[in-house]
Amino acid sequence: MIIERIMSRWNIFSGLLCLLTWVNGTAEVPVSPSFLENYCYECHDSDSEKGGLNLEEVVDGSLDTHSSQWEKVLRKINARQMPPLDSDRPSEKLFNSVAKSLATSLDQWASKNPNPGRTESIRRLTRTEYQNAIRDLLAVDIDAQTLLPKDEASHGFDNITVGSLSPTLLNRYISAAQKISRLAVGASKVKPGGRTYRIPADVTQEEHVEGLPLGTRGGLLISHTFSHDAEYEIRVRLARDRNEVVEGLNGTYDLDVLIDNKRVQRFKVAPPKIKRDYESVDRNLAIRIPVKAGLHEVGVTFVDQSDALLERTRQPYNVAFNMHRHPRLSPAIYQVSINGPFDIEGAGETESRAKIFIDYPESEDEEDACAERILSNLMRRAFRRPISPDDLVQPMQFFRQHKLEGGFEQGIESALGAILISPKFLFKVEKDPMDALSDKPYKISDLELATRLSFFLWSSIPDDLLLDLAARGELSKGDELAKQTARMLMDPKAESLVTNFADQWLYLRNLDSLTPDARLFPDFDQNLRDAFRKETELFFRNILVKDRSVLEFLECDYTFLNERLARHYGISGILGSHFRKVALKPEMHRGGILRHGSILSVTSYATRTSPVIRGHWILGNLLGSPPPPPPPDVPALEETSVDASLSIRERLAEHRANAACAQCHDILDPVGFVLENYDAVGRWREMENGQPVDATGGFPDGSKFVGVQALEEAMLKRPELFVQTMAEKLMTYALGRGIETYDAPAIREIIRHAEKDDFRLSSIILGIVHSKPFQMRKTLP
Amino acid sequence: MIITKKALPRRTFLRGVGASLALPFLDAMVPAATASSKTALGQTKRLGFVFMPMGCDQSRWFPKNDGKLKELSPILSSLEPIKHQVTVLQNMELANAYPGSHATSNSSFLSAAKAKHTEGNDYYLGTTVDQIAAQNIGHQSQLPSLELSMDLMQTVGQCDNGYACVYQNNLSWSTPTTPLPAEAHPRIVFETLFGDGGTPEQRKAALQHRASLLDAFNHDIARLKRNLGSEDRARVDTYLETVREVERRIQRAEANTKDNPLPDLDRPVGVPESYAEHARLMFDLQLLAFQGDVTRVTTFQLARETSNRTYPEIGVPDPHHPLSHHGNDPDKIARMAKINQFHVSLFAEYVQKLQDTPEGEGSLLDQTLLLYGSGIGNPNVHDHTNLPILLAGGRATGLKGGRHVRYEKPTPLANLHLTLLDKAGVHLDSFADSTGKMDELFPLTV
Repeated sequence: MIIERIMSRWNIFSGLLCLLTWVNGTAEVPVSPSFLENYCYECHDSDSEKGGLNLEEVVDGSLDTHSSQWEKVLRKINARQMPPLDSDRPSEKLFNSVAKSLATSLDQWASKNPNPGRTESIRRLTRTEYQNAIRDLLAVDIDAQTLLPKDEASHGFDNITVGSLSPTLLNRYISAAQKISRLAVGASKVKPGGRTYRIPADVTQEEHVEGLPLGTRGGLLISHTFSHDAEYEIRVRLARDRNEVVEGLNGTYDLDVLIDNKRVQRFKVAPPKIKRDYESVDRNLAIRIPVKAGLHEVGVTFVDQSDALLERTRQPYNVAFNMHRHPRLSPAIYQVSINGPFDIEGAGETESRAKIFIDYPESEDEEDACAERILSNLMRRAFRRPISPDDLVQPMQFFRQHKLEGGFEQGIESALGAILISPKFLFKVEKDPMDALSDKPYKISDLELATRLSFFLWSSIPDDLLLDLAARGELSKGDELAKQTARMLMDPKAESLVTNFADQWLYLRNLDSLTPDARLFPDFDQNLRDAFRKETELFFRNILVKDRSVLEFLECDYTFLNERLARHYGISGILGSHFRKVALKPEMHRGGILRHGSILSVTSYATRTSPVIRGHWILGNLLGSPPPPPPPDVPALEETSVDASLSIRERLAEHRANAACAQCHDILDPVGFVLENYDAVGRWREMENGQPVDATGGFPDGSKFVGVQALEEAMLKRPELFVQTMAEKLMTYALGRGIETYDAPAIREIIRHAEKDDFRLSSIILGIVHSKPFQMRKTLP
Repeated sequence: MIITKKALPRRTFLRGVGASLALPFLDAMVPAATASSKTALGQTKRLGFVFMPMGCDQSRWFPKNDGKLKELSPILSSLEPIKHQVTVLQNMELANAYPGSHATSNSSFLSAAKAKHTEGNDYYLGTTVDQIAAQNIGHQSQLPSLELSMDLMQTVGQCDNGYACVYQNNLSWSTPTTPLPAEAHPRIVFETLFGDGGTPEQRKAALQHRASLLDAFNHDIARLKRNLGSEDRARVDTYLETVREVERRIQRAEANTKDNPLPDLDRPVGVPESYAEHARLMFDLQLLAFQGDVTRVTTFQLARETSNRTYPEIGVPDPHHPLSHHGNDPDKIARMAKINQFHVSLFAEYVQKLQDTPEGEGSLLDQTLLLYGSGIGNPNVHDHTNLPILLAGGRATGLKGGRHVRYEKPTPLANLHLTLLDKAGVHLDSFADSTGKMDELFPLTV
């Protein structure tokens, strides 16, 4: 069992917390004087002070004042970026021994002077966390994107700058609290409203959509929460070209509407009887049917008419970018509107109501006590802690007031709104202990730890089990934390590590705005965009669920494909819309994430690859050594200023001829060049514009190699660089703050332990959970 | 939800008078004794822009005589009842829309800027006149601006002669690289403006519920502040400021429901089937947004450039775009002119309704300036000269209506945009390719 395997690793970490006690010690110089003399002082002595670093001064001081500088020195040595390539460089053996002794000194010093850093005291939920919390609290599926404004990202993640509260956001919180409480309880007499689901214009709807019945093509599957047992109208509109002509209408078609995979209506779609009267084609594509309250899957799709098959296989993928170049072959759905409720029968029996009404009054006398039980239960989950009588005051006021207007359920609905607008729900708050001295590390409470843990692993609120343990003060005792981490990683909610963490770490979120040039890449469509994302997400999920080594990100012989993506990659024999694990051969040129279409595309321009962006992405996101941002006065590389007939490699070479540019681009460009065998949408190529592709490149340490395979091998030669970067990214996400030099000892600790366990993903996650920055916090100076 | 005169009984009007005198005028520090009608002269509170696609039959658009509007031309005939509030302008030009195309007709109409010729994501235009107004006067209302259209389709990639579709789809641009998508779905517009709607009492109750939830938030956040360190307390103070701002907005909305009485608002659920009904609904929503002071700047695209909409309801079964390339076939021109006339008639209804809707002692039109027109002159050749342009404005704006003003030389449409901004209190030296203001249109205020 995976859980047991994770648990067996617990003893590795059990020693960690002993570090909470320390003694004062004296610091010594962590690098030998001869090394400094031979390799460093030429630039970093008190005379030159290159880059503002005077190592002579650092050496004279103690680690108490200079640990941060030493951490930076260590990072440069580890990346082999210092000493510079054109000066005397130590042997690899010397590099390693210096790095090791420096790290040991820094770790020893840190164990005596722990600094867990200070995550902000008040952090609001992100939009994603809010959506998940509502799902777990009330079993209501909301689309937070339509309810709340976007979060801003920093340090690569959107849960860092979450301290501010704008009027727009507060307004939206109020609306969301109202809407969600109504949807969950269903007591209010709501007026008919509606929601419209649109399919992006560049979705090809010629193929089967996963989740819809076989034998259908195109359309969409909607998870829609119906608020009441009532009648609803489902209305369909078809896609039109820019002349408002319904596209692809070459005959008569069957259009099915399904609820929970059961057909409720079949429409005939036919060309208009009156010439060009296209409004008549879909005017009547509407039904009104009774639906039970709760979450249902609504499907709208065309019946696949096999006579179109031959024609389709000859055609390229046809997106509706242009009615002349790529007309649709058959009709497609533009939008589906679900309107209602009409003729409400009642609130119905839903999972939400079952979760809310754990108790129901049998007489009026019981109503208040019953409401207190219901609300306490909800608040405990929502506020992530035991509830005091004081917490009940506000919601009970709402309950009593609205009970008078609309009865017991109306009262509960209104009180639920008050819970959802409470800062106790919306904000994660960490308070310093009352008796804490200033500028000292302390252990956060078990309840705060439970919240940190569940938002890290689930992007959501803790469940009852986790809360119970924390409330009893048992979470941080013995091996409980490791046990809980293992349990939570196996829970489906851990999917958020894929959809929330990996999506941000690997830039998959940028796929939505990716629009390759339609003339150069005419077959690029939303289906491919979705397939790109899915491949990388499934890949990450596989490593997570199967608890594989994270080094498989860099090298492996499998990936996940469906027909659309396999065809894009030129891999035959993969049929159908569903994704499956596929064993790869070397000549397929696929495998680790550096060969994923998603990554290769989001690091390209609309018309061509960008070795610069690709190099930057690899150095920053995989190797943890991004070059500094360009100085503000550097002009952009004008496409026109260099001969356009030159290859991108030659154009960038001209660019590097400028010394100011070369400083960073000498590092960036060669890393990106190695991936030149993949074009701007991630297809393999051996020729570009009639010339053989040159994938020669190298690393900042001066090593030279050719092609993606060699790049992966080079990265695997020193796997700790990748693991360190990934651990730092996970830690940033887990803590909700940027990683600082004082976090480095904790990261090294995590890597040391993970290494003994083949760098399995769970060992890194477990390491973070047991690290001091995760379990502790520092009081203000 | 069609607003007719019936929906605004005299009683509502009278109730409105007493209430609306109080707040806005106090804010403006106007001496209480000043007669409101005089104070308001030269004041333009709202700007509306209505775009008609693909030009028109100019011979049936421009009135025969210059100067005072006597007999109206066929296309403009429906403006008869309100012609004293209308000024027809001749010889306006969009030089930056050349070389002639449909995409630039739309994109230059409010920007007067040259569209970067691209199909990609690197599109670049200019900030449009409505958005400059929104950025300067929009903060006085709930929404800085409202962008509406009639087409429920969205196109991506290439649309017209190598121009990205954004140029053809979006009239409003808040920066040269930020097109603002317009909404054509009446329900979505309605919810943006009024939430769930309902009777004035229901809307008031909804606002009060919001206020009580805000109170609950405020109560808890104040308690949270107690046991935090000083640094974190400062953070909470910024939250409390936010609470006050939201409180102010709710109060303003509550005052709005009181001072700008709106009829019962039933949220529209779907999209009306007929074009005319849909367009009237969109105009009604603009009127309600003005009446409730939800916004002061609107843009409305009656149809997209190259629209192939047919108008069977007025006896034109032919799609508009091919008809506009009439090749000087008199029969085709006549049918196109019918579409032009139909569009103008919908606008005329709107102006009439604004005129009939009371505000303060006068009407909603009084402090409103509306620009109606197209970015193409003669659609047969895609030119952008001698554009069909007209202004409608209430008496407080100072617009001298009932005139046909013909400029001798082609005059930049940007001059008109600059003038409208000036009237709305946004004083710029120039706008796009403007060469000066057109103060002669507002002789009463100069």
